[in-house]
Amino acid sequence: MIYLSMALSKISRYVLLAIFNALIVYTIPLALTFESWFFLSLTLVIGILVNVVYFTDRFQPMKWILPGMIFMISFVVFPAIYNTFVSFTNWSTGHILTKAQAISVLEDRVFTPDDQKGLEFEMYILQDQDLKFYYVANLDSDNILFGRAVSDDEIFSTSYATHEPSLFINGEFSIPDGFYQLSGKEQIANSTTLQELSLVIDQNTRAQLYKISVFGASTGRLTSTSQLYTYDELNDVLINNATNSICPVIKDNFECDGNEIEPGWRVYVGGENYRKLFSSQRIRGPLNIVTKWTFQFALLSVIFSFAVGLLLSVILNKDGLKFQRIYRSVFILPYAIPAFVSALVWKGLLNPDYGVINSWLGPLYEILDVEPVKWLKTKESARSAVLLVNTWLGFPYMFLITTGALQSIPKELIEAAKVDGATGLQSFWRITFPLLMVSISPLLIGSFAFNFNNFTLIFLLSGGGPPIVGSEVSVGWTDILISFTYKLAISGGRGNLFGLASSVTIIIFALVLIISAISFRYTKRLERIYGNI
Amino acid sequence: METFKFFNWVKEYGWRHFVALIFVTFAIYPILFVVTNSVADFANLTNSKLIPEGFTLKHFKLLSSDPLVPYFKWLYNTYKVALIAAIFNVFLGTLAAYAFSRLQFKGRRASLLTLVIVQMFPSFLAFVAIYLLFFQISDIAPFMGLGTHFGLILVYLGGSIGFNSWLIKGFMDTISPSLDEAAKVDGATEYQIFRRIIAPLSRPILVVIFVITFIGIYSDFILAAIFLKDKNLWTVAVGINTVFIDDFNADWGVIAASSVIAATPIAVLFIFFQKQITGGLTAGSVKG
Repeated sequence: MIYLSMALSKISRYVLLAIFNALIVYTIPLALTFESWFFLSLTLVIGILVNVVYFTDRFQPMKWILPGMIFMISFVVFPAIYNTFVSFTNWSTGHILTKAQAISVLEDRVFTPDDQKGLEFEMYILQDQDLKFYYVANLDSDNILFGRAVSDDEIFSTSYATHEPSLFINGEFSIPDGFYQLSGKEQIANSTTLQELSLVIDQNTRAQLYKISVFGASTGRLTSTSQLYTYDELNDVLINNATNSICPVIKDNFECDGNEIEPGWRVYVGGENYRKLFSSQRIRGPLNIVTKWTFQFALLSVIFSFAVGLLLSVILNKDGLKFQRIYRSVFILPYAIPAFVSALVWKGLLNPDYGVINSWLGPLYEILDVEPVKWLKTKESARSAVLLVNTWLGFPYMFLITTGALQSIPKELIEAAKVDGATGLQSFWRITFPLLMVSISPLLIGSFAFNFNNFTLIFLLSGGGPPIVGSEVSVGWTDILISFTYKLAISGGRGNLFGLASSVTIIIFALVLIISAISFRYTKRLERIYGNI
Repeated sequence: METFKFFNWVKEYGWRHFVALIFVTFAIYPILFVVTNSVADFANLTNSKLIPEGFTLKHFKLLSSDPLVPYFKWLYNTYKVALIAAIFNVFLGTLAAYAFSRLQFKGRRASLLTLVIVQMFPSFLAFVAIYLLFFQISDIAPFMGLGTHFGLILVYLGGSIGFNSWLIKGFMDTISPSLDEAAKVDGATEYQIFRRIIAPLSRPILVVIFVITFIGIYSDFILAAIFLKDKNLWTVAVGINTVFIDDFNADWGVIAASSVIAATPIAVLFIFFQKQITGGLTAGSVKG
């Protein structure tokens, strides 16, 4: 029996490994095709590790650790390294592709040589119920072509025009069922759209609207297209077949007659992103503001929520106080709600026009004779609102941990101080508080680090806004470093500046490292000082 | 004498109740406001009255019928992703924790230290790289690329395994080694010791880690937001924060209803496990 189960476990192990290896083998050529060297190396490293560990019995402990380790390496450690790599590239909108991919996109472009523009014929323009345009080209009585008129983007996904001699009965055009024929005036009204459309006849030939006639049929023209760019591998230049000009590589684009050709490709640019961050006035300024505010935000969030939490736990830390349990359970509530819900709700409450906060403060505004605060719309109000909401979110945690710490402080210490004549306040500040800080301060630093990267709150409550005017990139007064990065990379409305965003991420990494190092040293020091109590 | 007694009460207890009540209001007002508005006939942002006129479930009904806001689809997606990721997370974390706690091997201390250092950097910090990585994976293996739940789950798996195995290892260390030594004498294999002794005895911490991980993934916004572009694949966090942006006042009833549905299970779960969660989180991390 034992042998059977052992054999079974061995067989199942081999089956699983075979499936795994099949996946790896399947991935490698694909990674090669798409030239993602990082992905390829990751796949190879994981593949080799798994096989070595599970085929041999030499690395017993690794059998337990490896599955978790693979995920941690692939999706935590590796992205961090990859991030560093990206920060040294120009990876951004317009420079997303590799050079080979960019060339293949460019070689797909077509143009219409002038000498090919000949042969004119009658064109009829139709529209179906979805308001899509269709062309009928009457080349001659044997060649009546019909099909959808498509723009350049759709050309490769559309089918060729079909022969429909039945559309002409005795030389007279008859409109097919379900279509509507545009009059000359309607054609003129739509002329900008129509100019962009063509009827695809075969791979290189299209029919385009040439002249619109208000009375009678309009005129179409046949055009043949040929490849616009040819890549010359030997000289590493692009040749523009329309103008016969030679387009050399300028850094990360081809340049034809002084114009950059899109798309470019991604290249290694050294420290250029970092130089931009630190020397370009219109980026350095905002970056300074954001960095400073990130520290302020994290620090003030910790201070406020700690102050409230400590106050409440001290107040409730009193024997014989009624309703303690009720208070405690209510104070936990804000912490129990997911932050993405709280942020949404608070955004509603803070709405300057309808929000309940301004309708509460209404009488106060009247007494003081001031304009209602435009919550989240001005720098000061947005910053205060973000801090207010974060205090609301954070004080329950502080309340919980300070309550725990307070209860673990021996009562005798306080009693002894009382005997020695210390007042309540004195014994709090001289004994309770310092002792509290020993156990709490690592948690405070943890909380600081958490808020340092509290993307959810900032992004969902204020969206980082209001915007800082005059900045080269999209950034706001309440943006912290991580939300700034997000705007640079994903949602800034100025394209995806992945390279630049990655260099900001590296700054965040460095700062988090410093914070953690301080935390390590600080806790060690406190332990030494208070170690013998 | 009565007045003196009263003043004494105020001095000893009364002011405590006063301050506590102020913060009770602060803590609970937004929550009550949302809950009551979710069932209010004329839900709106301005009305500060907590007891609305007219009770209705129409906002909840609207949520289940509006094709532009596939709310329950989002809810399903969120539970699916969070459950799968949390289960595998705890499973893989437990395996690793067992090795760290019970097996002696070279580089054990170094690996543990590496875990701590890596865990200082939350995985979402490198979201640009994660985005670009999966952007490329989309070409090679579309089923796990950008825009898929599978890819998102993989990222979540990596995100907290280190932290989790560290916590689980700490708990396993408290299980007396004499238990597994006895089993070893009886001829149990490593796997049997794990399966029959250590894993069952670790159940309390495993439940807590599962809950923490589940809540963390449920509440994540940034990774889900960069991953999921298709409306039907969004999680609740992405959905409600993307759809409700313009007319807050008109939509307030629906916003309130969706907030209540999204928050209640998590709040209940959290309060139920509150002691263990805050105990387990003494490493300094704060829930999202």
